Parts: sequence; C-alpha cells; structure tokens
Amino acid sequence: MTPATPLWEFVDITKAYPGVLANDKVCIRLMPGSIHGLLGENGCGKSTMIKTLSGVQQPDSGQILHNGKPVTISDPQVARELGVATVFQEFSIVPTLSVGENIFLGNMPRSRFGVIDWAKVHNEAARVLAEMDVDVSPETITGSLSVGEQQLVEIAKAVAMDARMIILDEPTAALGEDEIERLHQLLRNMRERGTAILYVSHRLDEVERIVDEVTILRNGCVVRASGETKINVSEIVSAMVGEDIGEHYPKEQNATKDVVLEAAGLSTNSGVKDVSFSLHQGEVLGLGGVLGSGRTEIARALFGTDELTGGQIRLNGKPVRFRREIDAIRAGLALVPENRKFDGLFFNFRASGNVTAASLGGLSRFGVLNLKAEEQATHDLIRDLEISTQAEEKTVNFLSGGNQQKIVIARWLFSASDILILDEPTQGIDIGAKIAVYKLINRLTRAGKSIILISSDHDELLAMSDRIAVVQHGTIVRTVDASDLTHDDLVRASADTPQSKPKEAFA
Amino acid sequence: MKRIFDTQLIGPFAAMVIVALIVALTTERFLNPGNLSNLSLQVSIVALIAIGSTIVIFAAGIDLSSGSMVALLTMILAQMLKFVGIPLVLALPLILLMGGLLGLFIGLITAYGRIPSFITTLAALIAFRGLALTFNNGSPIFSLDPALEPIFYGKLFGVPMPFFYLVFFYVLAAFSMNFTKLGREIYAVGGNPAAAVLTGINVRKVQTTTFVIAGFMTAVGAILMSARLNSGSPNYGQTLELQAIAAAVVGGASLAGGRGNILATLMGAMTIVIVQNGLNLNAAPSSVQNIVLGLIILLAVGIDMWRAEISGLMGRMFGRTSSQQSSNVKKEA
Repeated sequence: MTPATPLWEFVDITKAYPGVLANDKVCIRLMPGSIHGLLGENGCGKSTMIKTLSGVQQPDSGQILHNGKPVTISDPQVARELGVATVFQEFSIVPTLSVGENIFLGNMPRSRFGVIDWAKVHNEAARVLAEMDVDVSPETITGSLSVGEQQLVEIAKAVAMDARMIILDEPTAALGEDEIERLHQLLRNMRERGTAILYVSHRLDEVERIVDEVTILRNGCVVRASGETKINVSEIVSAMVGEDIGEHYPKEQNATKDVVLEAAGLSTNSGVKDVSFSLHQGEVLGLGGVLGSGRTEIARALFGTDELTGGQIRLNGKPVRFRREIDAIRAGLALVPENRKFDGLFFNFRASGNVTAASLGGLSRFGVLNLKAEEQATHDLIRDLEISTQAEEKTVNFLSGGNQQKIVIARWLFSASDILILDEPTQGIDIGAKIAVYKLINRLTRAGKSIILISSDHDELLAMSDRIAVVQHGTIVRTVDASDLTHDDLVRASADTPQSKPKEAFA
Repeated sequence: MKRIFDTQLIGPFAAMVIVALIVALTTERFLNPGNLSNLSLQVSIVALIAIGSTIVIFAAGIDLSSGSMVALLTMILAQMLKFVGIPLVLALPLILLMGGLLGLFIGLITAYGRIPSFITTLAALIAFRGLALTFNNGSPIFSLDPALEPIFYGKLFGVPMPFFYLVFFYVLAAFSMNFTKLGREIYAVGGNPAAAVLTGINVRKVQTTTFVIAGFMTAVGAILMSARLNSGSPNYGQTLELQAIAAAVVGGASLAGGRGNILATLMGAMTIVIVQNGLNLNAAPSSVQNIVLGLIILLAVGIDMWRAEISGLMGRMFGRTSSQQSSNVKKEA
C-alpha cells in the first residue's frame, strides 16, 4: 500500500436528526501513520461523526471508502472487522473484571472445548501491555487502577484487536499531565507503525503538540481542513467559534492587598497535610498540580466537607470552624464542584431550582418559599450570564455543558458568596463557554470576590490566576506569582517530585 | 396554581378518566350514588397512606413498612381503648404521635445508619407485623368504642368524612411540596443527594423527615382502618404498602426520586381503587384483582420509561413536542 492512498475516506457524509442537520457533507481523509485532529465546539457534529465512523449509526447520505473501495459500516461489529477501534469518552471497561478480561471482552480466546483459554488471555494481554510500555499486570482488577491507567487499558483493547484505525474521543479529559504525556508517546508509537488515529479533543494545547492534520467542524460542516503539520492555535479557535474571539484568556488584575481568607496548617484524613495559604480580596489563587495531588481535597477541607484534623481557617481575621457545608456557605464560601453532573446539578429542576438551591433559607419565610422572587432572580441571571432561555422552562438536562456550568456558578452569584472555589470550571465545555467563564471570573473579582481556581489545564491556570500554589501530595509546596511561571515550569513543579511513586500520585 | 396543576397531572388524570369510563360502561351499578360514596371510602385509607409513601419516593427512598405499621397501630389503639381504658380523644393523638415516632426510628436508621430504606422498611414490614401479634395473644380486638365509627362513617353536609381528610391532607401535602423549603429540599435530595450536600442541604435530616411524614400518614390510615371496622387486628393492612407505592407509581412518581406530583398520587390511588371496584362489582375473584393490579403497575412504570418515545409519537400525531416529558433523559444528559 502506498502512503498516498488514504486508509479511510469519508465523502459528503450527511446525517440529520429531527430538527437538526448534525453533519452536512463532511469529508475527512485519514492517512495511515497520521494523527488527525477533529475539532469543534460542543454541538458541532463531532459526536455524530464518530458514531457514523464506528458503525453506531448510519449516515443519511455520503460515501465511505476503505483503501479506496466503498464499504458500509452497518454496525460496530463490522467496524471492528474492518479494523476500526473506538475509545469513547465514557469508558466501556468493566471495573470488576481483570485487565486481561477487559482487553478481550466480547472477544475472548477459546480453547477447543469452548471454554475460555485463560493462559492465552493473560499471555496476549501481557504482550499487548508490554508493547504499549504499560506496567500493569493482566490479572489486576481494573477498578483498582487509576483513571489514567484505566484509559490505557481502554486503548489496549484497541491495540489487542490490531486496529488499523483508532478513534479517540476526548482521551485526556480525565488524565493528569504525566499520563497525557504517556498516552501521547503511545500514540506516536502507533503512528510509527502506520496506524491512523482520529483524535478528538477540547484541549488545544495538546492538539498543537500531537496532531498532524486537522479538520474543524462548525454547525455540522467542515470549515477548515488542513494537511499542514504546523497548526496555529489562535487560527483554530477562530475557525471553531466562527469569529475572531480576540484574547483567549481575558485576564483582569483585580487583586488587592487585603487578606480575606487565611489557612494555617490544614490537615484532614483524606490526605490534606499542613496546608497554609492566604487569599486576597479580588484575587484568583490557582491550585496547580497533577491529578490526585490533593487539590480537590483541599477544597473539601475548606468547605467543611471533610473534617479538619488540624489547622485553622481565618475569615477576615476571625477564626472559623465549619462543621458542615452549610456553615461554610453561611460564612460566604461557595464550591463549584469538579463534576457538575454528579455533584453540581439537580437534573430534576429547571434553572430556578438549581440557582436557589443553596439559598433556600434566605428565600423563605416561616418555611414558605418566595417563588416570585425566585423566578425573577433566575430570569435576571439567565439574561445576565447569557444562559439559554430554555433553562427557564425546561429541566437543566436539556442544556449544553457550558450553560449547565453557568447555572452552577449562578447559584453562588445568587447566594452572594464572597469566596468561590472553582474546581475544574471549564472541563468539557467548549471554547466560547470557557471564555464566558473567564469573563465571569473577572466580573466576580472586579466586584471584590475572591476565587480559588483548580484546573488541570495549565495554560488556563497560568493565564487566569494572580498567584499559583503548587500542590503535591496534599500539601502546598510553594506559592508564586503566575507571571513568574511558564507552562513548563508549572508542569515540572507539579510533577517533579523525587519521593513520588506513580501509585501515590494517583491516590 | 400553575405550579401545582402542571402537565405531570395530565397522564394520571387521563388514566383515571379512561379507567372510570371503561368501568362505567361495562358495569351497571358503578355509577350508583351508593357505589360512588363507597368508592370514596375505599380510596381514602390507601390514598392517605400514599401521601407518605410518595414523599419518601420523592426523596429517592421507599417505604415498605406502612401495611404492617397499620396492623401494629390498630392493635395498640384497640389495646388502649379496650383494655387500658384511655379515652378516645387522648388515644387518637397518641396513635398519631406513635406513627410519627416509628417513622422517625426508621428514618434515623436509614439516614444515619446508612442502610438502604428498602432494607430498613422491609425489616420493619416483617417486625411490625410480629409486634402486632404480641398484643392480645395475636387475636383481633373488636367493639372498641362506639365513638370511633363516625370518624369513618360520619357525614358532614351529607359528604362522607374521609372526603374531608383527603382534601385536607392533599392540599397540605401539595402546598408543602410546591411552596415550602422542606418540599424543595425533598425534591433536591431525591434528584441528586451529592449536589444537595454541597449546597448545604442537610440530606440526612430531610430523608429522616420524609419517614416521619410517612409514619404519621400511616397512623392516620390506621385510625381510619380501626374506625371502619371498630376493631384492631394484626392482619389488617396486608399489601397496603404495595398499593400505596402503586398509587405513587401510577401517579407518575419516579422511583429514582426527585420527580413527581403529589396530587397525581391521589389520581393513581383512585385509578387503582376504581379498577378494584369494577372487578368487585363484576364478582371477580381476588386472584384476578391482584393480577390486574400487577399489570397496572407494570403499565404505569412502562409508560414512565417509554415517555420519550410516547411523547415523540404524540408530537408527531398532534404536531408539537411536549417539553415536560423528561423523566428519563437524566442518565443520557
């Protein structure tokens, strides 16, 4: 096969759902030995495209060529037989099974008598893992691995079936920096061997690092397809959003000298050790560190979720003790949790119920809610934060991730909190919504509120923070001005730990 | 008022009307004033208990204990009236208090002991029935107090008393669920307990409160049961807990918690009782009644599960899509 022939070619793929044209004549050419980025904002038709490629659904029209010959990917089994493996955003591994079992799930080697050939399962799995340079035993129960390792097992499934094309949907959403590097190394190795890789990501810094070619979708159409190796991030962003968005990180300097919160020697049983820092009025204090370094645990300690076993928190100079979340909320703290779906939103409520959930006491008199005030405040916040007006009538499960995140933040605007802890506030939302969140951060700090920002996106953390506290193993190892750090410094500072063992870092 | 009478009521209301029409057309005596009056008496006990069962379900719990608790409380009431000699005016509030306390006990074990309510109330279902048998050597106690019967059979302006209890408690419940902090917290806890914790809602207290409400409403049902038969018996209330849960489910309450309308439970209870009444009037054996009740529950949950498909179908039929049919999109979102 000459490298000039595309391994897969998708020509004029069109797919419509009732009321939406999800893909409109999309063309993608995937070359062997090339990493192809598929980019676009939420709702641009990426997921639809992936479903079509992996045989989950059929296009309404268009042609699919495999090695130049037209084929029909009628179901996922056919896709598998044609050498297409898809690693979906939500893992499809079974946590209670061993790594080996997961790798061969649905495709177990059998011996002559029809029983599973365990020796082969383990040997083959071990071979695949060794080939990938992953140091995990095939007998390990998958659920006991870190999220990053589970992701690698997911990819091992694709390697084991000898896939000629691998589709990765947001593969790094749950990974820490060192795990991302490991994944990228693996992808480079696969590229060397001539595998075609379709890489879908929201993280443009990664795209820049690893992708050879790029296709950008907007409103279901291809707006830009590039075969160039050098890709300019700001061009990509403009192409995705459809307009020149100007500054990607519109940071304002609003920090003052007044200390609003002071933590001294905080410790908890969940792994926070001797954490001390101060937070100024109007400041954004970034918490940097690898996944599992204890940043979320520090947030929980501040918010009264985890009991303090040592240390002292002072608010405006006065010592406080939060026994439960409600104490912290009453004192003016707010927590936007890392996982808005599981810990943030009430999907059974419209925007109003979500916005007022933390302020029901103030909204009621003798236990009776002031529903007029609730509707009015929600109405205003929806306009103000440019949240989809559908949120007023429909339950929030109908909204996009960006709108959902704004609603969680709106909850704490409504409760008039002074100190907001934002844990991964832009994870999984598109660029336009990210910028809206950044502007919201500016607005809050301008109004004298203070923010503790936790983010795994180093560029974002560097750009939006005034100071950055580097967290390792549950403690703050140093605090520096964000302007004094570069991306590489931060990566090194948060990951470079002599005493670190991989297990510990993931704990 | 728009808030209380929302679109969630349309389905259960339609189901009730359709069932009533079918029974009315096939059964002559159904529309007799005597039968309709009897119907409201029949529905009252299960519908009042179902208020508690539904509120527990709203908070993502389940209460299997109410049937046995009815038996236990009728025996305690009978014991107090017949053998201890406590006057009725004192005995009734005591029974209500006891119902609340039993609910508190179940709620505390469930919420603070972190045992699923399915287990705690299953244990209570078995244990309360046993406790009821420890009174009077396990025999029923009859002829308790002549003043007891009017509580159930009495009439005010010609309307049976249970009708007023239904109106009072359903109005109170609908108000609480839709206009109070507690009601909102119950829906929040049922919708997403993790998020509720992080918004400062005392999840365990709210969960416990739902069981106190359930215990209290079960006590109300137990008093009506005793009044209806002027007796107490360890055999009363068998499968009543399932009928109450069925009323909630037929009324559209999601067993996953967080969604449903309390007034729809009343319609669910009516639907069930109308079917039973129709089968009774046609002299169907109780075996058939149970089979039909089972099918109704299955159908009601099925309709809830297939809501998206059904609303899509309705949308195509009537040229518009319904926005409120959302109960199962949660997982996909």
